[in-house]
Amino acid sequence: MAWQDYTHDMQRCTRCSYCKWIPYRYMQNTDFIQGCPSLSRYNWHAYAASGKFNMAYSLLQERIEIDDTFLDVLYKCQMDGSCDISCKVQQDLEPLQLMQELRIKCVEEGQLIPAHMIVIEGLRKEDNMMQASKSDRAKWAQGLNVKNLTGESAEVVYHAGCRYSFDEELWPVARSGLQLLLDAGVDVGIMGADEACCGGRAYELGYAGELTKYAEHHMEALRTAGVKTLVTPCADCYAAFKVLYDKIDRKLDIEVLHITQYLDRLIKEGKLKLTREVPLTVTYHDPCHLGRLGEPWIHWQGREYKVMGQMIVHDPPKKFRRGADGVYEPPRDILRSIPGLKFVEMYRTKEYAWCCGAGGGVIDAYPDFATWTGAERLREAKAVGAEAIVSACPWCKRNFLDAAQESGEKIEVLDIIELIQKAI
Amino acid sequence: MKLSTEEYKALEDIVGPEYITQEPVIMDTYNQVWGNKFFFDAKHSVRPAAVLLPANTQEISAVVKVCNKYGILFKAFSSGFEYLSLSLIHSKGILFDLRRMNRIIEIDVKNMRAVVEPYVSVYRLQLEAAKYGLYTGRIGVGYSAGVIATECCHHGCQHTMVFTSGYGRNILGIEWVLPTGEILNMGTGESGGDLFSADGPGFSLRGILRGRTGANGGHGVITKASMKLYPWYGPPQWRQTRQPGEAPSMGQLEKVPDGYKVFVPGFKNLDDTLEASQDLCRAEILCAFGIAIVGTMPFSEGNDEEWAMMQQMMKGRAQDFDPAGGLTIANSVVCVIGYQSPREMEYKEKCLRAIIERWGGKLSPYSNEPRALARAFADMMWSNGVNLRATGDFLPSSSSPDGSPAMLKKLALQEAEVKRRYEEAGAFLTLGSGARMVSWRPEEHLSIGAQGISTAQYDPYDPASLKAAREFIDELFDPRSPFNRFGVPSRGGCLQIEPVTHIHQNWGPRYDNYDKWLRKIKKMLDPNTVGDWTAYIPPEYPDYAKDGDYVLPSYGKAEENL
Repeated sequence: MAWQDYTHDMQRCTRCSYCKWIPYRYMQNTDFIQGCPSLSRYNWHAYAASGKFNMAYSLLQERIEIDDTFLDVLYKCQMDGSCDISCKVQQDLEPLQLMQELRIKCVEEGQLIPAHMIVIEGLRKEDNMMQASKSDRAKWAQGLNVKNLTGESAEVVYHAGCRYSFDEELWPVARSGLQLLLDAGVDVGIMGADEACCGGRAYELGYAGELTKYAEHHMEALRTAGVKTLVTPCADCYAAFKVLYDKIDRKLDIEVLHITQYLDRLIKEGKLKLTREVPLTVTYHDPCHLGRLGEPWIHWQGREYKVMGQMIVHDPPKKFRRGADGVYEPPRDILRSIPGLKFVEMYRTKEYAWCCGAGGGVIDAYPDFATWTGAERLREAKAVGAEAIVSACPWCKRNFLDAAQESGEKIEVLDIIELIQKAI
Repeated sequence: MKLSTEEYKALEDIVGPEYITQEPVIMDTYNQVWGNKFFFDAKHSVRPAAVLLPANTQEISAVVKVCNKYGILFKAFSSGFEYLSLSLIHSKGILFDLRRMNRIIEIDVKNMRAVVEPYVSVYRLQLEAAKYGLYTGRIGVGYSAGVIATECCHHGCQHTMVFTSGYGRNILGIEWVLPTGEILNMGTGESGGDLFSADGPGFSLRGILRGRTGANGGHGVITKASMKLYPWYGPPQWRQTRQPGEAPSMGQLEKVPDGYKVFVPGFKNLDDTLEASQDLCRAEILCAFGIAIVGTMPFSEGNDEEWAMMQQMMKGRAQDFDPAGGLTIANSVVCVIGYQSPREMEYKEKCLRAIIERWGGKLSPYSNEPRALARAFADMMWSNGVNLRATGDFLPSSSSPDGSPAMLKKLALQEAEVKRRYEEAGAFLTLGSGARMVSWRPEEHLSIGAQGISTAQYDPYDPASLKAAREFIDELFDPRSPFNRFGVPSRGGCLQIEPVTHIHQNWGPRYDNYDKWLRKIKKMLDPNTVGDWTAYIPPEYPDYAKDGDYVLPSYGKAEENL
């Protein structure tokens, strides 16, 4: 759908401002009830989802133009979808999809964010979002005895993703994830230097064509490799493979799993045994792309009509994505199965979790906002008594590490893979 | 209209460049609110000349002085979930977005009061106050409404008025930036004491501050207020939960918290319902009171799910929707009682059951199952939010709360009849049963009135529905109507955009020319007319059509005269 197709939503945003908060029913600690990092940091209503509806409607009516302020407001946003969840507690509207379409429009019209242009240029040359050389992509896996699926075959492909492939500090996590699979006897391989970006982050920046390109590439590459399952330790990649490819009618015909889902399965099947005590109090941060944004895409085509006089309904009934079908329990089940570990929840969890700060291109274009957002999450983790914040995405880990360094928060930042490794 | 460089600079020097904007992209997000289409025939009202995010009272005071110097209109708001909180009479006006002033300054447990800044929401204060066994009233518009906006500036009507009162009667003291920029501390605050009484020994200006309906930003900015709190009988914390895989909108309490009981009696007809309601409220046993159809209904994810649920319910529970079938859900009310001891609960429940019996009421199993009661409790005490999802917009009827209970009952019944006509024509949401529903919100045990409204849900982007909505309000607001009513229709409640609805112009002469006194007060407080009066009183009435035409007769004219 194009951005204009959301006119109904633009008109019917009531300015209730529920999008600014987590759903009120789940508010516990009033220090942690804000839901939208963008609005929380920049204050103006425009930065909230409601403001985006307003901007779009003004644009539609030619009251405003796409200018620097418009771009600033639109892109100082992690596209984390918290607003979308809160809005949909009360409304049948699609704020996140409108924001996505506005970004696509901006790109199509050449209204670009310089920092993103650099990233996309790198993507187009080197097939990754890290402005690194494609030939270095498999360095993270050097020394591991693993199949390269460009020449060999396996049941499972392990897709590390751009961040894990090029962020050297995070290589041990990527390697551990793969090693866990190998140790459990999984027939797994990697694509080596031929692994390419999923295209998901580029899509979020508004570069819709890149998603189509990489979706088609992966459809072909994975078909050729003959794998049955794709496993990724990156939440962004998971959402792209699982949700976005389906959204653009390029659904992969193989099973797509986040590594937490696969490891949880292995643990429950007894193929991975967590026996060592890990005496640590941890909290779990739901990555947006694994949680609410990891909910499968729901296709719908139909018409709007009215019942009971004026109530607006759909034929066939339209199921809105409200975040409930995201991946929430497998990582929690893993944490609960680690001996000696004390697991505490934060105040904002699952569908209404606070974002790590890295998403939507913010880490590239507005790093100070990214770390500000991350520091807010670390503050929440500390408030519930956690010694470590655990996530399941390299973008979260990277941003939390940066935020901890910048803010001085003394808290350990772990990926769930690292905890499992400690427990084996 | 843009501010001159000099004017903008003067404002910027006070709040700092980060906290003022005149970017059209941002300012056009400060003039789009539900209801605008009805009033202004467009989603947009006037675009402000600038929006400011002040940090404190001193900044607001200084800015208002600049407004006086340059003739700039101003208006302040907190959540902004009201068309009248953002509408300006012309574009040489600024808005104060008060979201940076968001502190709960004090919860004074011993004296049962809280001191808050404007951006503190009702539900946030409820969460904090509950830790100390205290409670602030629930506001109709929902949990995100500002405490100060509710009590000091606008409307302030709620289902808990039988217990906590409302309409500004809980104000114990305020800090008020007058339209001249002067800072006024009212009551004990004025005498240098704490803000524990708005009535003295210093100035008592509570009536002028807001009276029944509030000045809606028309005479300054309330920057701090002390509010009376009431007992909270429930736990210090609670959780609303849902089943795995259920959407967040399905979350609810599992049961009514200990310390409270909820009853949902149904009566034979609306007339009996309102009679029983009077007795229930006057018995002084309730913590909250409202109609059941909103409170007890199972939650649904969205309209499609709700429609499916309604169809199912209409099949299985036809008697609840068909007035000919006896008890109807439309004639059911929610009664919340709170207690500190078993004996207190026993007494209150005994009273309540006796009244229900007197009026032939029954406690139907559907409405009184534990989860339905828990939903009703949350809605009555905290609000489940305004349902604008169904059709996109809603209109309360004229809902004057200024009359005697008997008159209000008569008026509510008459208005419900009018609304039913539009429902039958398909212009508004209807249950299809012809049931008349009135939301009855008695104040102070019904000793001084009530708000009885028939809420019409219409689609502002359906021309026929919008036209009907305007005709509906025209009918209710027409002083020549056969209602022979008492009281000015919802002045400030929900339907006052003075340049459009001409409430004062039409109704002032019928009620002792109250409007002339209102204008004198406004002039005294605001000699340069810089406090935006869109939802208050104009300095003079426009010479346009008035009776019988409430849509756009004058809005925007002031712009032409600038």
